[in-house]
Order: sequence, then structure tokens, then C-alpha cells
Amino acid sequence: MEAGPLAEPAPPAIGARLKESLERPWVVGVLVIVAIFLALVITNGLHAVAQTGINGLSLGSIYALGAVGLTLVYGILKLVNFAHGDFLTFGAYMAYLVNVTWGMPLVVGVFWAMVATAILGLLLERVLWRPMRNKHAGLLQLILMSIGLAFLLRAIIQWFWSTDIRVLDVNSTSTVDFLGLRIGQTQLIVVIVGVVVLVGIGLMLRLTLLGKRMRALSDDLELAETAGIDTGRVITYTWIFAGALAGLAGVLAAATTNLKPEMGFELLLPIFAAVILGGIGDAFGALAAGMVIGVMTEWSTLVIDARWKTAVGFLVLIIVLILRPQGIFGKAKAI
Amino acid sequence: MNDAAGNGRTLLEVEDVVKRFGGIRAVNGATMSVGEGRITALIGPNGAGKTTLFNVLTGFYKGDRGSVSFHGEEILGEHPYAIARKGMVRTFQITKALAAMPVIDNMMLAARDQPGEHIRNLFIHPRAVRQRENQVRKQAMELLGIFNLSDLAEDYAGTLSGGQRKLLELARALMAEPTLLLLDEPMAGINPTLGRRLLDHMQGLRREMGVSILFIEHDMEVVMNHSDRVVVMAEGRVIAEGEPHEVRRDKRVIDAYLGEVAGEPAAAGSSGE
Amino acid sequence: MLVAVTFDAITNASFWISVGVIAGTYAIVALGLQLNTGFTGIVNFGQAAFMAIGAYTMAILVLKAGFSFWLSLPCAVLAAMIFGVIVGLPALRLRADYFAIATIAMAEVVRLFAQNARGLTGGNQGLFCDVNDPSNCYTNAWRDVSDHINNFVSNFWGDPDALFPLLIVIWVTVAVATFLLRRLQGTPWGRVLRAIREDEDAAQALGKNTLLYKLQSLAISACLGAIGGFFLALNLATVHPLDFEPLVTFFAFSVLILGGLGSYRGVAVGSVLFWFVLEGTRFIDLPDPPFTETRIAAIRLAITGLLLIGLMAFRPQGLFGKREEMVLGE
Repeated sequence: MEAGPLAEPAPPAIGARLKESLERPWVVGVLVIVAIFLALVITNGLHAVAQTGINGLSLGSIYALGAVGLTLVYGILKLVNFAHGDFLTFGAYMAYLVNVTWGMPLVVGVFWAMVATAILGLLLERVLWRPMRNKHAGLLQLILMSIGLAFLLRAIIQWFWSTDIRVLDVNSTSTVDFLGLRIGQTQLIVVIVGVVVLVGIGLMLRLTLLGKRMRALSDDLELAETAGIDTGRVITYTWIFAGALAGLAGVLAAATTNLKPEMGFELLLPIFAAVILGGIGDAFGALAAGMVIGVMTEWSTLVIDARWKTAVGFLVLIIVLILRPQGIFGKAKAI
Repeated sequence: MNDAAGNGRTLLEVEDVVKRFGGIRAVNGATMSVGEGRITALIGPNGAGKTTLFNVLTGFYKGDRGSVSFHGEEILGEHPYAIARKGMVRTFQITKALAAMPVIDNMMLAARDQPGEHIRNLFIHPRAVRQRENQVRKQAMELLGIFNLSDLAEDYAGTLSGGQRKLLELARALMAEPTLLLLDEPMAGINPTLGRRLLDHMQGLRREMGVSILFIEHDMEVVMNHSDRVVVMAEGRVIAEGEPHEVRRDKRVIDAYLGEVAGEPAAAGSSGE
Repeated sequence: MLVAVTFDAITNASFWISVGVIAGTYAIVALGLQLNTGFTGIVNFGQAAFMAIGAYTMAILVLKAGFSFWLSLPCAVLAAMIFGVIVGLPALRLRADYFAIATIAMAEVVRLFAQNARGLTGGNQGLFCDVNDPSNCYTNAWRDVSDHINNFVSNFWGDPDALFPLLIVIWVTVAVATFLLRRLQGTPWGRVLRAIREDEDAAQALGKNTLLYKLQSLAISACLGAIGGFFLALNLATVHPLDFEPLVTFFAFSVLILGGLGSYRGVAVGSVLFWFVLEGTRFIDLPDPPFTETRIAAIRLAITGLLLIGLMAFRPQGLFGKREEMVLGE
């Protein structure tokens, strides 16, 4: 998918313009998705594609919410945070605590999950990541530290809640009929919450000063610093942002499936796939890529046995890394 | 003395090389040549594309267009290691001393034709490996002697001063037996005394080993006094090429480069890093 | 709450032998990681996949293709090495962080395959003996050798532990591998690897085909991973997907970091220390409740996590790594 090496600035003929837009990888990406959609509609019928598509949107929301925080932390702090998945787990269990143990409504649980995970993110920034940055820790040093942290978080959750599989107090049986589709009530809520929050994040990143600063930092920390942005404050907000969204993603994952201490780690790799597909540090890319991977994963069940579907995210990751390591939405950069 | 070692033949021929990053053409149709046995300086204001051109010539960037012929052979698009093996060896603007390896290992690494770099030979020809290793060590110690680094041979390269690292990098490049040396700002960040020694070394290399040199430099004094030929780049193109005194009077060069930098060569040099 | 240390566990030879077997297995696996991460600068997070490929190929060849156990071993090593090269060819061109993520994804794909390709791998049942012929197990050939060794050993030690021969063979392997790797490191070949670890661009600028060396490094590591996989399979007497989770790779990394990056001798010491501490938690006879089985497992996980965090924060060079050769500083 590399741009053709000899592409000259051609006269703006229609053919040339078409060729130019084909060189933009995200255009190709959209075309590929449309082609897959059409092929599936022809072979499996619109109904099946739409039904699995709904499942895909709910899974995609979870991936996207997890990925947007991970990508910003990755881009801004150059931290490949393997503990991010366990932030999701942490959020899910915080909601469980409020919703099941204390018997309060799930809405309260969601709020508490987001607040608690944001606080966790902030706390770790203060006690771990900031001191390590001051020590000029290397890439591998930080990666291994985040893996240690992932173990520790999982251990704490396992200590309090054991490895038993738990569920949130949600209505998992009633369904809504919509345009001939049968959609689980919880799932519908998850999709709506996910999409609304994702649009909200998109607007926030695009329109607010903080959002712009986050993206600027994620793009080029040094440049942003010389431009006079208070990086310390933006970093603080980034952790709050990443933590809260990870907490929310964890609750949504728990609501649609269940809770177990390793749930976050299982979600981490598809989330990484979304981060890389979207281009590291690119929040919009992560949002879109999370959705794409979620939908593709569920659509894959129309073609292959459902027990293989987890492999879809990994395969997307591997293929993207081989073909276009800077991501579909990311821009080509010098080495 | 300018033509003492030169015989007029062209060693490196660069034609219309283009390197794009996204929409930006960092090198935009550069054409130049380097004569055999010559010391050629590559100058130009910051952002002129000098280091990018170096990276294209040595294979670290894939050029988008153009042609680079070295010893009459097209090398554009070859891997960096293959280009180095053909005899074009470079140094880097920010020195790449292999910090966690002793100085002597830095040197010995660069030697050519060490059969022991293939696992197979370690088992089949251990003797040849050892012989070559002794040879290389001797050669490395000689070169270190020339560069006054003998006493530091067993020290980790990371413990060397900035200037010593520059010398080590030059000595190491010579271990690779280059016919053309590409030096990216060899004088940047070292004190004037060491700088003068480095310049002497460059002249000596050309004289005694017949090595041709292409170097990027900001200090006009150095360029005018120590090069046989000057290539001037601006905005990704070569705007002038010729003997130092010719280039100095060239209107385009004065406009593009000297006018901007002459007043503050030090500042331009340091921000180039 | 009364916490008692049960001394019978300390004197229990068979317990220590089993810990030694695990420690030795991980030492072999981590030696490969040392070559990759400590000496070539490539962060291989997919070591569990090479173990899995080694163990599964061996078991499948013996049980389904009728190979002799001894012939299956070199075949399985070869399979793992070829797989390493296939993965490495595209992935080794990537940046270090991308490579780490790519290899862990690759390892998960392998594990998913083992879990789901039931016809070949037995899925979640795992592989141990031929379904149609329960007397045909992949461990049979080893059992015979093991019995021979123990017959001989019984001349000196009344009733040797059943795992004793495995312990011996594993640690001989550790010693041989350490010796060979140390020798290799001192050669011109090893020098190129170290140069790549330090600065791949510099190595290329000096005419070294770095991709080739990185592939060799990964392939040798895959070979060691596969051997580790054999020993794991012989120890557990079953090949099961859950034994090849990413956690296994991370345990091996903990072993590596504890011993110290850039020190082959550190690997064995690191492994012994790590596993004796981790398994040592079994001595402490904790009352249940509150110390349930899962909570003790949680403690072990927490110890590993704290160990990694603490080492990275305060002693990133581990026990035996040289500060000058610290490669963590990018």
C-alpha cells in the first residue's frame, strides 16, 4: 500500500485524482471494508450481516474506548503500557463492587469505575511513570515495568474477587426488535453509550483546547513544548482521560460478557491492534480502527467458526505491521 | 596541492535525486559529483537537505527518483550494508560510537572479510577466523595509534569524550577500507585543537591512502581552506558546484547561504544537530 | 492467625527436584531471550510460541505420524527455527516496540491454533497418549532412558526420585547451552550482534547485513525455546495450550531480568532464585481462610509483578548485568 515511487504531480485529471485518492491508505481501507460488507451481504444476506454488525459495534466500542487512551499515552509519554488492559479489568470490578456488592444502580457503578480508574492512572503516573521519566528510563525498561504492573493489578483483583467468573446486575435476557433485528437490551445500551461517548471524545479532541493540546503533544512532544504548552498539565489530563475511558470500556465489556481477572489482558491485544492500525498517537485513528476491528471480528463468524474470531484482531495486527507499520490512518514519517 | 592525488576521474555521480516525506521534498532533484582523490565539501543552510542526501546516498533512505552511480555502478535503492561493502562508508552527525563495546571491538567490528562473522566458519575454519582476527587487531591498533587512541583501546567507547568519539568513528570507518568517506559534520561539537587534528587526518588520508572524502560542514573557514571542491545545496537542490574560490563569489550562493549564515556560523552549526 | 513453616517441605527432596526441573526449563528458554534481548537488542515476546511449536510438533510427530521420539526432536527444533525465520523476515524490520507487540500477537495466534485445531492438537484436551492406543505415549522413549538412569543412580541413592533423571538432563542442557552461547558471544559473529544491539544503523554503515544476524539470533532462540518446550512436555506428561500463555514468556523475562541482561551465567542463577522464591511460597503453611488457593496464586503473581517493577526502578541491570552494558537505556 506504499505510495508509488514515481508518482509525479500529475495534471488534475479525473483519473489522476482517483489514483491519488487510492494512494491514501484510509480510502483503500474504506473500500476494502465496503467490499467485505457487500460480499458478506451477497453470501449471507443483509440480516445476518446487520445482526453480527451490531455485535461488532458493541465490541468495537470497547476496543475503541480502550485504544484511544492507550494511543495517547503511547504517543505522549512513549510508554507502551501493557497494564492498560488491567485498567479495564480494574474498572469492571469497581463497577461490580458498586453494582452487585453494594446493590446500587449500574449507572452509579459506571461513574465510580471511571473515577476510580482515572485516579488509578493518575496515582501510577505520580509514583511510577514520572519518576521513571526523570530517570530517563529506556523503552524496554518501561515495557517490563508495565508488565510487572499488569501482574500486580491482576493479583490484587484476584486476591479480592478470586478467579470465579462474575456478572454485573444487568438484564441479559430481554431483547428489542428493531427493523427485524433482535438486539439484546444491554447490548443496545452498550452500543449507544459507546457511540455517543466516542463521538463526544472526537468532538472534545477536535474542538477543545485541551484536546488540541493532547493531539499536538502526541504528535510531537518537543515541538509542543517549544510552542509553550504546559506539558505537565496535559499529561495529567491524559491519564485522567485514558483511565476514565479504560474504566468505561471495562464496564461495557463486563456488561456484555462477564468479569474475570484476566479479561483485561485478553482485551489488550486487540486494543493494541487498534492502536497500531490507527497509527500510534493518533486518537481519531484509534477510534476508527477499534470499531473496524470489532466489526471485522464479529463478521468473521459468518465465514469461520466463532472460536477462531479472537484471531482476527491478531491477524489484522500482524498484517498491518507487515504492510504498513505506521498504521492505516497514520501518516508516513521519516525513520 | 589541490590536484596532487586527484586524477580527474569521477567516483560518485549523483543525478536528479528526489526524496519526499509526505508532501515535502527534502531533496528535490539534486545533481552533483565527487572526483576521485578529492576532498569535497557539501555546504548549505539548515534544512537544505544535506543529511537527507547523505542518507539517500548511503541507502538509509530509499530515494524516490534519480540515479546514484558509484565506481560507475548504480547503487540507488541498495541496502546500506551493501553500499558500505562497495567502499562508500559514512559517519553520522551525532556520533554512533557503540558505547557498551570496548574501543578495540568498535574498530575490529568494521574490518572486512572476517570469515568468523558467519557461524558456519566458526566451526569449520576456526583457524582462519583466528588468523584474520589477529590481523585485524594489529591493523586496528595501528590506526588507533595514528589517532592517539591506543591507550583507550580496552575502555568502553561510552566513556570517551565527544571529540575522542569523533576520532574513533573516523578511525572505525577507515577499518572498513573505504574508497569514499562520507563525513556528516565531522567538526561539530569538538574543540578547535581536536578539529585541526581531524582536518590533518583528512588531508593525510587522501594523500597516503588515496581515500576520497565528501563532508558536510558549516564552518566556512574550514570549507575554504581544506576542500578541493565545494557543492552548495539549498532547498533540496544543488545550486552551485566548483572550486572554493569560485563558489565563494557565486551570486546564488551568497544569496542562499552566505547571506544567512556568514554572520553566525557557530549558531548554525550547533542548531544543525 | 498462625503462620507456620512446614519443615517437611524443606527436606522434601522430591519437591526441590520438581522446582529444579522448572527452573532449568525456564533457564533454557530465557537463554534464548538473553541472546535476543541482551545481546541482539530484539525484544522477543513470543518465546512461548516457540516452546509450543517444539512441544506440539514433537507430540504430533510421535503420536500421529509414528515418528520415533528421538527423530521427532530434531524435526521439532527445525520446525520452530523455520517458524522463527518466517515470523522474523517481516517482523524484524520493525521498530523494537512494534516487534514486541507483533511477536506477542504471533504467540497468541499459535496458542489459539493449538486450542482450536482439535483434530491435530487435541484442543483443550491436550496431547498425551494416542487415543486409539493408550500405551503409545510420547513420553515412552524418555521413560525408558529415565529408568536406565535411575537404575544406575540407585546404586548410590536408595530410591531416586522419578524426576531426578529429567533434572540431570535439563541442567546438563543448561550448562552446554550456556557454554556454547558464551563461546559464540566472544567470536566476530557475537561482536556483530552486540553492535546491532548498540546501534543497528552504525552496524549497517559498516557493512553488516543486520537483518540476517537478527534472523539467526531469533532462530537460535527459537531452537532453545523448542528444547524448553520438550522438557516442559516431558515434565507435565501432557502438551496443553494453557501451558503456553504469554505469561510463560513474561516469567522467562522475569528470570532474565533478575539474572541480568547481557549475562549468560546470570540466567541460570536468576531462574533458580526466581523459582525457588516463587515455589517457596508453598513452604509457608498459610491458613485457609483467608489464604485460599487462588489467593496464594495471586500472591505469587504479585511477587513477580513487584519483582519486575522493583528491578526496573532500582536495579535494571539485574544481579549480574554490567552497568556499562545496560541495554535498556535505548
